[in-house]
Amino acid sequence: MRILLVEDTEDVGEAIVARFERIGHTVDWEKNGAMADEVLEVQAYDLLILDVNLPALDGFTILKRLRQRKSKTPVLVLTARSQVDDRVDALDLGADDYLVKPFDYRELEARARALLRRSAGESTNQLVCGQVTIDRGSRAVAINGTPIDLTRRELTLLEILAARPGRIFGKDELVDQLFGFDDEPSPNAVEQYVARLRKKLAGSGAEIRTLRGLGYQIVCP
Amino acid sequence: MIRPGRSLYSRIILVIALVFGVGSVILGTAAWFYARLAADDAYDRLLVGAALQIAESIYAQEGTISVDPPVSAFETLSLSANDRIFYKVLDPHGAVLTGYDDLAAASANTGSHEPLISDGEYRGFPVRVAVVGRLVSDPVAPGWAHVVVAQTREARIILARDLTLKALLLVFAMTGLAFMGVLFAVRRALEPLTRVERELRSRDPKDLTPLDVEIPREIQTLVSTINRFMDRLSGRIALMQRFIADAAHQIRTPLAGLASQVDLLTEETQPGRREHQLSRVRERTAELGRLTNQLLSHAMIIHRAEVAEFETIDLTALARQTLINAVPLSLDRDVDLAFDDPPEPVLMRGDGVSLREALSNLIHNALKHGAKTRLEVRVFAEDDAAVIEVIDDGPGIPASEWQRVREPFHTQSATGSGLGLAIAGDVVRAHGGELRFRERSEDGFAVILRFKRQHEAPELRTGGDAS
Repeated sequence: MRILLVEDTEDVGEAIVARFERIGHTVDWEKNGAMADEVLEVQAYDLLILDVNLPALDGFTILKRLRQRKSKTPVLVLTARSQVDDRVDALDLGADDYLVKPFDYRELEARARALLRRSAGESTNQLVCGQVTIDRGSRAVAINGTPIDLTRRELTLLEILAARPGRIFGKDELVDQLFGFDDEPSPNAVEQYVARLRKKLAGSGAEIRTLRGLGYQIVCP
Repeated sequence: MIRPGRSLYSRIILVIALVFGVGSVILGTAAWFYARLAADDAYDRLLVGAALQIAESIYAQEGTISVDPPVSAFETLSLSANDRIFYKVLDPHGAVLTGYDDLAAASANTGSHEPLISDGEYRGFPVRVAVVGRLVSDPVAPGWAHVVVAQTREARIILARDLTLKALLLVFAMTGLAFMGVLFAVRRALEPLTRVERELRSRDPKDLTPLDVEIPREIQTLVSTINRFMDRLSGRIALMQRFIADAAHQIRTPLAGLASQVDLLTEETQPGRREHQLSRVRERTAELGRLTNQLLSHAMIIHRAEVAEFETIDLTALARQTLINAVPLSLDRDVDLAFDDPPEPVLMRGDGVSLREALSNLIHNALKHGAKTRLEVRVFAEDDAAVIEVIDDGPGIPASEWQRVREPFHTQSATGSGLGLAIAGDVVRAHGGELRFRERSEDGFAVILRFKRQHEAPELRTGGDAS
């Protein structure tokens, strides 16, 4: 997939490019903020890895302009500044994730993979987790190519979780997304849907975990 | 911030001057009063003497009472040159024998030999009047004849003024002396302060030993407060110096290791050993990164402890969000995460940023050194305390180490900087809470943060991030 890296530190940039190219992605590397902004105006990417401190135009401005153009490209912000303020700023401006420098490259890869998976899901309308494929267009789910039956709510739940594997979704958050105004929402119902979904996905490699007090996450092998 | 107040010296001088001023006025008035009494006393004797002399010269002859005032009587009175004298003599019937008959007879009849003295006024002048009676034993007209002598007050006033002035001179001389004495005493009394000031000014800036000057009892508290303050300051500085020394050591050691491993790498040709050296480089780098983050976080915590405003925080929401954020996606072990929250929100007053930092440090520690398969965060309220427990099923920290691990850079392990618990400890201290441990049991090993709980909140602000 195509990634744009905007990073002015030579060492860091080189390592990121090498790492992502090794796992089969195409990486464009811009060191100048203004140049990156121009590139983003004409070229679509599956993921933008964005440093905050940049020459000519800072990362936050690039991010803001990108979102103003209604681009849905996932953005992972890298920052070396005081974590707290940058984190809040970045998320407010529409970043999807952030990492504080110096970071662990395995963590960077894990986060990028999660974002790329979502990107792929958006473009092909297909989410993959283990042997499970979810076709969002036809709303069909298959394990190893064999279609399985899911109710409307089970499918929605699976879509939410599989769009961001590893992310922990709170029960309240799921209730909000699963139930409309007409329904009688209840956290217990969420538990039942998760239990049923888990049973139907057994042996597929995709695992829905319950984190007591926190919520649910899907883990793809 | 020192606000310049009025000088101690001028304050004392002002009060003393005021006391002396009022004192002089009172003393002057008293002197004037007594001087008048004395002057009256002196001149009254002369007046009465003259009146008696005139009275002596009253005689009765065949029913006729006559008087022949002797010259000497008026001579006595003429001692006061500027004063005028008026007199009259009355026979026992009250008829004027001689003298000014319009001279008021004061109290006409004394009926005794005792002279009567009073103040009066005659022809517009204030006068002193003496009345003396004389028993006329004439068979025809027996009874008391009276002599009235009045004298203006000029000489008396001059004498009284003279006496007052002399008394005032004494008062002023004494006041002056006392004032000078006070000035001197005040200067002497303030001297120890100047001495303390000189001692402090001439000191080496690094010298924070207690002041050793001889001082009076009155400023002993001040000086011992200064000494205590310097003691605290020197304690802080010593702590800081040790922290810097430790930090320098902690930064240089992995840096040196890094440099050596990189150096080895450039020479190494054997692939197996290269792999080993590379993993060392990776380890050292991760260690340095974590250490830098912790040092900065520690500095931020110390800064926030002084400036951050406390707000009402929902500890449950804050802890849940911190736990979600603190667990890396790339965690290579399967650790069961759990969050145990109470049915009711647990509220406290605090700084959300610091609290998040403290908790995420504990969670990182647990993931790094502790948790084999389980990490649990519990939030609950206990009487007046808001409590967070971070529990893992790792080996825990032995009780003998509990005190030491709170200090910065306690650990000698290769992977940790040992700042995590120190950061948590600082945050807890800034919130007036405490950091505790609970020994390993079936439940696991627990690090416990206890804060003061807030029971009711007018407005609720969650400390958690909306991420």
